[in-house]
Amino acid sequence: MWSYLGRRLIQVPLVLLVVSLMTFLITRATPGDPVQIMLGMQTSPEAATAMRKEFNLDRPVYEQYGLWIAKVVTGDLGRSMRLNDRVTSLIAERLPISLQLAAAGMLFALLVSIPLGVIAALRRNSWIDYLCTGYTVLGFAVPNFGLALILIYVFSIQLDWLPITGIGSSEAIAGGPWKHYSPFIIPAVALGTLQTAMLTRLLRSSMIDILSQDYMRTARAKGLLPWNIVVVHALKNAMIPFVTMAAIQFGYMIGVQVTIEYIFAVPGMGSAVLNAVVNRDFPVIQGFTLVIAVFFLLTNIAADMLYALLDPRIRY
Amino acid sequence: MSLLQVRNLRTRFATDRGTVNAVNGVSFDLAEGEILGLVGESGSGKSVTALSIMRLVPEPPGHITADSLSFDGRELLALSEAQMREERGSSMAMVFQDPMRSLNPVLTIGRQILEVLHRHQKLDGAAAKRRAIELLETVGIPLAETRLKAYPHQFSGGMRQRVMIAIALSCNPRLLIADEATTALDVTIQAQIIDLVKRLTRDRGTSVIWISHDLGVVAGLCDRVNVMYAGNIVESGPIRELFHRPSHGYTLGLMGSTPRLDGTGGRRLTPIEGMPPSLIDPIPLCPFLPRCRVSVAACQERRPERREFGAGHWATCLADLAS
Amino acid sequence: MASTPALPFHFRSSLVLAARQFPRNRAATVGFVILLAICLAAAFAPWVAPYDPIQIKLSMKLKPPSLEHLMGTDHFGRDIFSRMLYGGRTSLSVGLLVVGFAFILGVPLGLASGYFGGKVDNFMMRLVDAFLTFPPLLLAVALVGLLGPDIQNVMLALGLVQAPILARMVRGSTLAVREDVYVTAARALGASPVRIVLSHLLRNMVSPIVVQLTVVFSAAVVAEASLSFLGFGTQPPEPSWGRDMSEARRFLSDAPWMFMAPTSIIAVCVLSINFMGDGLRDALDPRAWRTRRSVGTDA
Repeated sequence: MWSYLGRRLIQVPLVLLVVSLMTFLITRATPGDPVQIMLGMQTSPEAATAMRKEFNLDRPVYEQYGLWIAKVVTGDLGRSMRLNDRVTSLIAERLPISLQLAAAGMLFALLVSIPLGVIAALRRNSWIDYLCTGYTVLGFAVPNFGLALILIYVFSIQLDWLPITGIGSSEAIAGGPWKHYSPFIIPAVALGTLQTAMLTRLLRSSMIDILSQDYMRTARAKGLLPWNIVVVHALKNAMIPFVTMAAIQFGYMIGVQVTIEYIFAVPGMGSAVLNAVVNRDFPVIQGFTLVIAVFFLLTNIAADMLYALLDPRIRY
Repeated sequence: MSLLQVRNLRTRFATDRGTVNAVNGVSFDLAEGEILGLVGESGSGKSVTALSIMRLVPEPPGHITADSLSFDGRELLALSEAQMREERGSSMAMVFQDPMRSLNPVLTIGRQILEVLHRHQKLDGAAAKRRAIELLETVGIPLAETRLKAYPHQFSGGMRQRVMIAIALSCNPRLLIADEATTALDVTIQAQIIDLVKRLTRDRGTSVIWISHDLGVVAGLCDRVNVMYAGNIVESGPIRELFHRPSHGYTLGLMGSTPRLDGTGGRRLTPIEGMPPSLIDPIPLCPFLPRCRVSVAACQERRPERREFGAGHWATCLADLAS
Repeated sequence: MASTPALPFHFRSSLVLAARQFPRNRAATVGFVILLAICLAAAFAPWVAPYDPIQIKLSMKLKPPSLEHLMGTDHFGRDIFSRMLYGGRTSLSVGLLVVGFAFILGVPLGLASGYFGGKVDNFMMRLVDAFLTFPPLLLAVALVGLLGPDIQNVMLALGLVQAPILARMVRGSTLAVREDVYVTAARALGASPVRIVLSHLLRNMVSPIVVQLTVVFSAAVVAEASLSFLGFGTQPPEPSWGRDMSEARRFLSDAPWMFMAPTSIIAVCVLSINFMGDGLRDALDPRAWRTRRSVGTDA
């Protein structure tokens, strides 16, 4: 298994090379001159030339790419054209916030989907099963930003229970755990509902499948207690696809966060990419896409590893 | 005194198309230390009979009734589910058909044995482990100590069935039910498993219900045989009696379709034509009549009653097959 | 030997069977009817819509739903129902065009990749991997943001996002079918490669492709709304489901109907498409019919 992990990790730089090449080509081939956008229309030609030189934009594309990659290898992602910050420090600022939001969304998804999926499978065609089906169907259908607006309207405006802003702000962090974490609740629910729907449906169907397996009958014939049969014999099997799916979905969540970050003014990765795209801030676009790709690849590898870890039949 | 007493056992399943009478008034006794064969085609109700005794039939859609279903003097149908759980795996154990799928694939063999010992014998830690190793050795698994950490997929089919037997016998049950326990195995492995069960149960005086569609297997193992057809026992008798004087058209048919292992007789194998009847509608006459080769005129008029053919040998057949 | 890539006769008959099977699934039929109704209403918006979707009438602003204005009015006094109808034209046509684009790009690429294998396959799959490494929405945002926010670019971006997914799926099925005995048999009988691909492979992949296309359709509708919501898409004052939701954020407490209307419409659309997809999957999969029937007789 370790050698499999090694082989997978070796492939990561290769994929990243293709990813970075693609971002590079897309940014350079599309219309819109970053220098013009940064400096405004009435800038002097000298200033523009100086900036072009500073960011190597006066060179051919392959040379730009070579210079950039050479620096990336040393851990330097360059400077933002607009904010004059290092891209790495921007990432250090925003990645933790995005990760926290994604983790909160996943936490919500796990907290809901595990009991709901299990109970729905155990009590098929009961009201809780119908609730489960209704919830998953709606979770798939309502886009996360629409759900966010509904939640804001109900829990923030009408009931005034939960705040909607304050993620990552200094006063929220200083104001104790509730002040710190309560702004995460609505965004996390809005973000995690699609994943909840997917995971609940997956868990329900795999539980139903497992409950009809012969070894479940064996477990009952042994006179084991019901909770033991469900938790040890059934859930342990059902967790194999479930955990894999959850890990893969976690990788996706950083990317689908854009709309949520936009609504709740969260200073995360998604909104940074959004701004960078609007401003043609090439170094930021390149750096952030690279980090997001790395994150996605690593969660995928983690998913495969978890799969092998949980299922004794799989050996790489 | 008999260990198990079954009187008029009926198990029904509610389905969209009506009630299926899977077991339709089965009565028999099982003595202490006796090995009883339960033989019939698939769908004849033999597995459901076994599951009903263990009360493992899912309710609903299933529903079990009986005039009496007493085990060791206790009415099983009167027990609560919690009381029943205390019996299962402890005083009554079961081995299933497909050893490939009867063991949980994600738990180690050790775990699957130990959990029964924890549950019923309150054995823990080293004592439980010693007992588990001992059990695996008894059923003939080499390197028992290291094999405890292995997963089911690392065992062959025969070895898995040995593990299943070890689990079933772990708490010294008084009744062991084996449901087609050797059907999925090779012939040589089959013989080994049968020998193993014979040896282990004779030693401990365990009563066994051995379910099979194969008369040959039953012949080598059992003291007595119940032949089941369409949810009923159609013939019952000591093994020699039944083989020498099959007294029901169906038993005769079964024997005709069973290859003789010793190669004697030289008869051609004759399969039983047709299909078993639907168990939804009530069957007024002998349920085997449409497929019977030895029916007599009376068969068209009334349902056959039990007829004695010797000591403890009876059949519900109107034809005189002895002549 | 002339190779006319004629489809085997049972290909058509299996489609006929599927067409008969589909209406038996009630949820799928309802989904199909609702989707059709929404599509027709959007297509004939100029005749169906009671008001001009763009004309500002400040005296009527932020009115709750009433008989006059079925879904209320927005902050410019525009009829939301009419805006939804016109907005649907963009959303649904983007959805359909993305489906077409993904099909035209994804299916041939996947077929070629799976059928020829080797270097072609390796190269294309690495490219697909790289595409799939990006979160789809972020990739679309980047593409649209860089190309410029207009509806053609939205279509192009979403098509580029969806095509690799379809290509990979088609490749997978092709690989599986290619190794199947009957393709070998067909080759041994002297059938030309084109014929093998078109008849044997396609016949086995119709079901997964059609089902995946419904997934693409609903993903595209949601993605278009997301992009418009973020400001990359239809520009104001043109009506758009996503864009209008974005505007409604400022009037959450005063006019909740402003965000409820587009949210529900998107949800109903996606719901209908999903139900339809489920129904199609069952209808196109002969095994699903058989199991359903055998469940009936076993019981």
